[in-house]
Amino acid sequence: MSQSQSQSQGPLAGLFDRYPQVALPGTYDEMFDADKARPPFARVAALLAKMSPDELARAQQLAETALLQQGVTFSVYGDARGTEKIFPFCLLPRLIAAADWSPLERGLQQRLRALSAFLDDIYGEQKILTAGVVPAEMILGAAGYRPMLRGIKPPGGVRIHISGVDLIRDGAGTWRVLEDNLRTPSGVSYVVENRLISKRLFPRVFDAARVHRVDHYPTRLAETLRSVSPVEQDCNAVVLTPGPHNSAYFEHSFLARTMGLELVQAPDLIVDGDKVFCRTTRGPKRVHVIYRRTDEAFLDPEVFRPDSLLGVPGLMRAYAAGNVALANAPGNGVADDKAVYPFVPDMIEFYLNEEPILEQVQTYVCLFDEDRGYVLEHLDEMVVKAVDEAGGYGMLMGPQASAAELAEFRARIIAEPRRYIAQHRIELSACPTWIAERATVEPRRVDLRPYILTSREGPWVLPGGLTRVALKEGSYVVNSSQGGGSKDTWVMKETG
Amino acid sequence: MISRVADHCFWFGRYVERAEATARMLAASVSLALDAELPSSQVWRPVIVVSGEEDEFLERFAEADENHAAWGDGEIVQRFMVWDEANGVSLARSVVGARWNARSIREVLSLEAWEAVNELHLWMRSDAATANFAQHRETFYQHVRRSTQLTLGLLRSTMLHDEPLDFMWLGVLLERVNQTARMLDVHHHAFTNLPRRRASDADEVIETALWLSLLRGLSGSEAYLKRAAGRVSSQGVARFLISEQAFPRSIAYCVKSAYDRLCDIRPPDHHELPGGGALERLRVLDVWVRAREAEPLSGAGVHDLLTHVVDEVHEICGTLGSELLGAGRVP
Repeated sequence: MSQSQSQSQGPLAGLFDRYPQVALPGTYDEMFDADKARPPFARVAALLAKMSPDELARAQQLAETALLQQGVTFSVYGDARGTEKIFPFCLLPRLIAAADWSPLERGLQQRLRALSAFLDDIYGEQKILTAGVVPAEMILGAAGYRPMLRGIKPPGGVRIHISGVDLIRDGAGTWRVLEDNLRTPSGVSYVVENRLISKRLFPRVFDAARVHRVDHYPTRLAETLRSVSPVEQDCNAVVLTPGPHNSAYFEHSFLARTMGLELVQAPDLIVDGDKVFCRTTRGPKRVHVIYRRTDEAFLDPEVFRPDSLLGVPGLMRAYAAGNVALANAPGNGVADDKAVYPFVPDMIEFYLNEEPILEQVQTYVCLFDEDRGYVLEHLDEMVVKAVDEAGGYGMLMGPQASAAELAEFRARIIAEPRRYIAQHRIELSACPTWIAERATVEPRRVDLRPYILTSREGPWVLPGGLTRVALKEGSYVVNSSQGGGSKDTWVMKETG
Repeated sequence: MISRVADHCFWFGRYVERAEATARMLAASVSLALDAELPSSQVWRPVIVVSGEEDEFLERFAEADENHAAWGDGEIVQRFMVWDEANGVSLARSVVGARWNARSIREVLSLEAWEAVNELHLWMRSDAATANFAQHRETFYQHVRRSTQLTLGLLRSTMLHDEPLDFMWLGVLLERVNQTARMLDVHHHAFTNLPRRRASDADEVIETALWLSLLRGLSGSEAYLKRAAGRVSSQGVARFLISEQAFPRSIAYCVKSAYDRLCDIRPPDHHELPGGGALERLRVLDVWVRAREAEPLSGAGVHDLLTHVVDEVHEICGTLGSELLGAGRVP
């Protein structure tokens, strides 16, 4: 709001003095409705507003120093000096009202139940293909489909132990699923670390907000892993990392440490008699559950990449024999393929006989002639994504693209239609965000990645999640590789 | 524990200890160069010889010339020993090595110990460290020493006293045996071969200064003076650094403690466990070092003794590597 409209006693005085009344045209502002904070957030907004920009700048500096000193960093690929950076962090929390959260929670559980049933079916009888609910060519042609895994039942019956589902809010504030991450979703360590910082820097605001805790995630994850152990007693679970060079190494180490498990690399593991062992200073030690943060292509050279020296030879034999649980199960990529995503609502109806609770984003599958025709005609309005890429790579933002980029993607789509899908650009919702260079608070677009753990007992949703924010002015891309940052996500408890 | 993790623990300990030893030795040499009326090459050349990087230094700075000025140039020597990336035992390389190993076992270290070593690493790369080195050399070395001491202290006060810590400490102790043995060897040789004009008071003063400087480099001057009631002699210092059971940087103490650590890791009666070869070799070295206490120390005898210790430690580390730390793995 402009200076003249702000009142020194009003809820938006102080820190939010210069915050625009209409955050961004056609965009839902999550904290403010015109000149007022949305009712569930009024108290928190008023407390935050009392902070001066100086205080916030100081707090931000403290937070960043703490992150660097604690080594809460990601490695920058292609940098020979081994440079590590902190994931940019905005101190102003993203708030989610209790009334918004509970349908999300139910919707995510429903979605995970359907996706699990889908994977069981695809690696089993394939009823959904026989019924013609989803086109068989789409599924069997997916890069993530692993025909050699058909007929193998995972220990404990769970395939998607850990998932992260990306959600956005459209111009009307409606939550929509943007994509599912069912292989090795990352980012949860930042959820826990960001919360530690919020609590340290804003204890009073945090206390007043009545926020669901997130620090028990590692405990729940450890329980989830133990729940699928092939043995009753003395389960030995480990975390498998590609090593310190991996960009997400901090998280691998964080999870091992907070669960009290060993962090292993592939050369530490050996398979003998279809059982997995770890090389220790006291000889081989049996391993029952592996939370693997390595790509499945590098799990077992005997199965996936005969040319590769990476991985654990024989691991898949041990898995097929039911002697080791892998979290997540290999083969999940067929369910989070971006071209399979449009069919998830059909899966929910087919397997659960329920109405989907969560909305999705309308998606054009370039493999289908009709969809492809539409996409090519409206390319400059669409967001085009490669179905097998992540991290904001392999993506075209039509409205912002140059003529050359548009022509390049047109050619690519025509050459490989199965590889591309397209969506209209959604006006991602915005949150007040601290912009350090100008020492001011401005609206920036966000998404949300909640984490869902599925044990033998079914899915559980962590009440919180990773809010990623596009820090660049005008940007719609929240990925850390493309200038995104993160915010602590405060899911508020029911009042009364 | 996982062999690879044990390997990182061991090397983490060695690098932290090495960083500290380098900082101590350089600080002591700076002080010696100011005090003693010695040719400056007599002060700085041993620093390079002890490090084992004589060839690299020769090639880069001193060429084949025995009397080259670089040998006596404290600034060249210190820059080489602190910042030089090509010098495998420079302070910068040791800190990077400690931090890299620590990061590889981040989940094994306590948060506080990790922060201590990470802060040292970030500080070494900061402008503050460069400025500190340029303007306040003494406080630069002090900062490094305090950071490594803090790290070692936090390991003992914030971590479980079990296998990972045993491996770290084993690394610290074996590195310390090496540092003490090499420093004593080089200095003993140099000091006992000082060109003597005649037995004069001045020579005695210089010799005393040299020995005290060596003791300071090993943080042992106060402890020595307590044991020797103020009398400084080459025999006394050598005896102290080799055999003093109560001094935590003496060879006898470090070998005995390293053996104790390895006994915790791999108990002597557990013949079914790997590690028996290294354990036995370390036991024999411990017995041998203690047996030397009763023998007189002569000039050449000191050198032979120290050479034997350094060679044995090298062999023990090799055996540890293949038996326990996953080097040359047997499937």
